[in-house]
Amino acid sequence: MEDFLSDDDYYDSGRDSLDGLENEDSGPQWVPSKGPTCKVITKESLLAAQREDLRRVMELLSLREHHARTLLIHHRWDVEKLFAVLVEKGKACLFKEAGVSIVEHRDLDAPPPPTVMCDICIEDVPSGETTKMECGHCFCNSCWTEHFIVKINDGQSKRIKCMAHKCNAICDESVVRNLVSKTNPDLAEKFDRFLLESYIEDNKRVKWCPSTPHCGNAIRIEDDQFCEVECSCGSQFCFSCSSEAHSPCSCLMWELWVKKCRDESETVNWITVHTKSCPKCHKPVEKNGGCNLVSCICGQAFCWLCGGATGRDHTWSSIAGHSCGRYKADREKKAERAKRDLYRYMHYHNRYKAHTDSFKLESKLKGTIQEKVSILEEKESKLRDFSWVNNGLNRLFRSRRVLSYSYPFAFYMFGDELFKDEMTNEEREIKQNLFEDQQQQLEANVEKLSKFLEAPFNQYDVDKVMETRMQVINLSGITDTLCQKMYECIENDLLGPLQLGIHNIAPYRSKGIERASELSVCWGDKVNNSGKPLPPHCGSTADPLLMLGGTTESDQPSGSGSSDETGYAPRKRAKTNVPGGGRFDLNLPADVVDRN
Amino acid sequence: MWKGINTALLGRHGYNRQIGLRKASRARLFKEYKEVQREKVADPDIQLTCDDNNIFKWTALIKGPSETPFEGGVFQLAFAVPEQYPLQPPQVRFLTKIFHPNVHFKTGEICLDILKNAWSPAWTLQSVCRAIIALMAHPEPDSPLNCDSGNLLRSGDIRGYQSMARMYTRLAAMPKKG
Repeated sequence: MEDFLSDDDYYDSGRDSLDGLENEDSGPQWVPSKGPTCKVITKESLLAAQREDLRRVMELLSLREHHARTLLIHHRWDVEKLFAVLVEKGKACLFKEAGVSIVEHRDLDAPPPPTVMCDICIEDVPSGETTKMECGHCFCNSCWTEHFIVKINDGQSKRIKCMAHKCNAICDESVVRNLVSKTNPDLAEKFDRFLLESYIEDNKRVKWCPSTPHCGNAIRIEDDQFCEVECSCGSQFCFSCSSEAHSPCSCLMWELWVKKCRDESETVNWITVHTKSCPKCHKPVEKNGGCNLVSCICGQAFCWLCGGATGRDHTWSSIAGHSCGRYKADREKKAERAKRDLYRYMHYHNRYKAHTDSFKLESKLKGTIQEKVSILEEKESKLRDFSWVNNGLNRLFRSRRVLSYSYPFAFYMFGDELFKDEMTNEEREIKQNLFEDQQQQLEANVEKLSKFLEAPFNQYDVDKVMETRMQVINLSGITDTLCQKMYECIENDLLGPLQLGIHNIAPYRSKGIERASELSVCWGDKVNNSGKPLPPHCGSTADPLLMLGGTTESDQPSGSGSSDETGYAPRKRAKTNVPGGGRFDLNLPADVVDRN
Repeated sequence: MWKGINTALLGRHGYNRQIGLRKASRARLFKEYKEVQREKVADPDIQLTCDDNNIFKWTALIKGPSETPFEGGVFQLAFAVPEQYPLQPPQVRFLTKIFHPNVHFKTGEICLDILKNAWSPAWTLQSVCRAIIALMAHPEPDSPLNCDSGNLLRSGDIRGYQSMARMYTRLAAMPKKG
């Protein structure tokens, strides 16, 4: 009975995640506005990803594609901001700021003069060999071409301005492409790539996946930039700072922590405070007692207080011909402080390290536990469902991570470095107790869960297996709740009341880090449709872009296949062998996977 | 003059491009040279001359603008023209010592937007000289290369700035009175 209840309980809590999964599953019919999502943008789907933003701008302002792109690049692909500027300052100003010039040239009817004087090379050039940009400035083709080449090589493809003095207009990309490809087809390709990648480089909603070697993908998020995502290549990262997923640490805390661990700066600190380098051999010397005349093992005598070399003559209180010592009291205080800080750091670091190490050890469980399960599956006829093993294991990984990152968090939250002026000592103590209570509870339950999962339950008899099962299911539920509570405590009680709002953490997700889904098939359809409203000039010139769009379509079916479950459970499992950790399938409760 | 380029190193495209560029920039410089000869009378404040052996090296003598502490001085500028000229700006520096917020006191380097990111190929060496004369009359103390000079102006000590600038003009930019 009890068993049944807890079972039910657990699945109940897992229901949200199930819903989440179904959403993710419905790729082709997916409606982007439905809840938070993040998408993987591959090389192939990059154009399709831009297309929607481009279309919105093109439709609203009835613009051609390259104008829309120029506007969007100028406004860092923030369509809302672009529209806000439009409403606030008007169309003319919007265009002018971005360097878009749409001018009706009235002199079109007049026959062009046979030759035009190009102001750049100061030659008379037949007008057939000149190009007039939309801003009205006309120069010869070879000068334009050289200008474009110089600018592309300078990495300024995204904003190639007209050559005329003080002309802010951005050159028409099709003209650039046309002229450059005549002499330097490679460079024209590069130019196109820069334009395409602008969607990633200049967009606060899109970031490159930080995996090394680089998988070539980028991730786009919908709204909250404080989130943790998993790329389709398997690497998980914090979207906000592109380092490994580190919640409940804030990005700043994590950055400081990584730096601190790397430099072992506390040790260095201690050495600088407690030792003096010998003026002769420059080795650090620690004073082990006695007066201030210190002798280095190299034989050099020096004054401990000022570090200067001295003679050996001295009394208990002074060194012959040498006097200093005004800052003695100060130094002692400093030494004490450094020592205290070092111990504090060591405490948190040891805890952090212990949990990270456990995490690594437990990740080996993933392989062995499958063996245990298969042994049991052969043995038992009564007990068929072993999903609890994987559920428990995933929960263990997830909670273990939370636990290990909670130590650097505590180090900074309750230390002097970041929030010294934000709380009084009493406040700090109360908060610290509150947090540490929760941390302790979580820690105890995680260890228990770990113990049960590591137990050789394949050798147990049926009753004992049932008991283990119940415990694992119970503890999984408890740790999940505790993690949730800890995040709530951090968000509401610890970071929430702070004056400086720079510490934000990714919200806790019971399911684990959100896995970005590939841009779904409907994008491909859009690419297809968008062939029609494209401006006529793109017909021949925009070839490279259109070609990319084409590949998107054909590649889509295989790309979006990631969301079908049968395909990816084994794929993920294979990844446990990948060294470096952090690649466990925390994203879904395995119950969902296994129940199917 | 041009000594030729190692074709083996540059490869076919590089070779062509390099020669193409040098040709284009030389052609343009020749045009400018002719223009300068013609305009010499038109603009008495600027005297641009090209190095006899190297068309990529120019010098200019400019007169300090009137009603400034540089009035009466003649300042020498050195131009180093890049091969990608006019697509890239020439490098210009003062050879004559000058006390001005936007000129490095030791090297003579000039901080002027049109010589950096605001360069347009439509500029010529002659117009660059004109821009530099304008800069002498209208210093930009907020982006100083010469901090002492910039600080004087920023703190409102116009007299201090002017007397320093005038002193250096007299010392460095005027013919010594025998």
